[in-house]
Amino acid sequence: MAAADSPSAAFQRRDLCSRGIRLAGKMRSDVIDLLDTYVERQGLDASASVAAAVEGVPVAAAERWDEQTGTQRLLENLAAYRAFRALLAQMLEEQREQLGEADAALGRALAAVLLQVSAFSYHLEELLRLESHGPPSEERAASPPPPHLGLFERKLRGLGVLRELAQWAVRSARDLRQLAKSGPSSSSAPSPPESP
Amino acid sequence: SLTDSHIQYERVGADVTMKCGSMDWDAAVTWTANGTDIDESHLNGSYLILKNVDLTQSGQYSCYEGSSWHLKYQTYLRVGTPPKEPVLMCRSNNYPKGFYCSWHLPTPTYIPNSFNISVIHGTKEMVCEKDVFPKNRCHIRYLQLFSTVKYKVTLTVTNALGKNSTTATFDEFAIVKPDPPESVVAKPVPNNPRRLEVSWQNPSSWPDPESFPLKFFLRYRPLILDQWQHVELSDGTSHTITDAYAGKEYIIQVAAKDNDIGTWSDWSVAVHATPWTEEPKHLTTEAQVTETTSASTSSFMPPPTTKICDKGAVVGSGAMAVCWTAGLVLAAYGVLFI
Repeated sequence: MAAADSPSAAFQRRDLCSRGIRLAGKMRSDVIDLLDTYVERQGLDASASVAAAVEGVPVAAAERWDEQTGTQRLLENLAAYRAFRALLAQMLEEQREQLGEADAALGRALAAVLLQVSAFSYHLEELLRLESHGPPSEERAASPPPPHLGLFERKLRGLGVLRELAQWAVRSARDLRQLAKSGPSSSSAPSPPESP
Repeated sequence: SLTDSHIQYERVGADVTMKCGSMDWDAAVTWTANGTDIDESHLNGSYLILKNVDLTQSGQYSCYEGSSWHLKYQTYLRVGTPPKEPVLMCRSNNYPKGFYCSWHLPTPTYIPNSFNISVIHGTKEMVCEKDVFPKNRCHIRYLQLFSTVKYKVTLTVTNALGKNSTTATFDEFAIVKPDPPESVVAKPVPNNPRRLEVSWQNPSSWPDPESFPLKFFLRYRPLILDQWQHVELSDGTSHTITDAYAGKEYIIQVAAKDNDIGTWSDWSVAVHATPWTEEPKHLTTEAQVTETTSASTSSFMPPPTTKICDKGAVVGSGAMAVCWTAGLVLAAYGVLFI
């Protein structure tokens, strides 16, 4: 593996960051479309208020975001998207159980976003490998199982998941731009992401 | 002598009664308004009665004891109205640093007003630092970015006659609106009669265009037409217009938007430019040498629909040869009409 600060590594980083920014942009656009579909199909009010911190859903909000190191950004992003992968898989399963084939469009849209989230997670893992840190193992970053919820609560939770994912997509593009701008990550040991 | 000087606020249309300090009702007094004696018809004993007051009746009212002309009472009457619901606007033109809120009253009250603003994000109350100038604005620094929690801003306006308030609720992304691009410049391109080179700069208020890039929207039209052409540009701060009508003056404007969030800025200051045109040449034919009338100075402008020298063609020397040939043809055509 090239040293993190070698010219080829710098080129790879910029390339991965550029592609990641485009992925994040496409993902956000699709999540916003999915949000419209989800709200309509689930009979929700688009302006419905969801609890600020839905259990198990990674929150995109960050304090002192501009002070984060590149590695911190990557680790937080990776932990978030791994969590979203599990959450979206669960939503897909619930949607199939609840609506079956009656709403194939919603199922397809959920599956498409799930695929993008998986792809983005992989992309982040590549960037972490390039930073010579390597991604943390999946088990450590896995979210705890969600609480048992009634149908309406599940729908609201799904709304919260998608809204937060849309925020993460914007944040991720910004994080990758910062990463591309800042060059090699700091030499300080990466701090593990906080568990949700 | 006893005097009592203070400010008295009354609503437009109210009936106002002023007592002459501690003077008895039946005391002989004289009232003045801004130094001018008030007619006795406005008096009820020593009380001054002003019915259905209007804005013109604001001023200094003084009461003097009849014979001694000692000043017994003085007040400054301010006629006004309680505040209507204020208009509040919040916007971030310097994302991700923070946002500002500004406000105004839809109609004046004609008396002093005080404004109080509160900003709540979730359960946290944030400080909105008031600007010295303009006074109807305050700034908030973002403590968090990428939050889905909405901001709730409540503005209360109070004056001596009443109060009113309004609330605005929004999320972080929705209020992001950059200032218009700056230093817009449009120049003709030498030897290119259908091109205009436009350049601009990021608004200086946008703190970090590298990490938070802007995209741009350019619009242009010849002055003689009403319809705009539009071009959206995802990066860079310049663009070459390649389909301008030759010889026509153009008006050009640019707007900016964060690449990912928020809304478009207002349009920039408009700039004007005219594409390059060829200097008129004098043709050296025998007919022209023997002419006794003034020299012909016809200039030939290719019609706007001319495609020969279009952007698709003007690439490399081959296309230049095509353009030159077209010029000769047109010149020959023009000679026929001299």
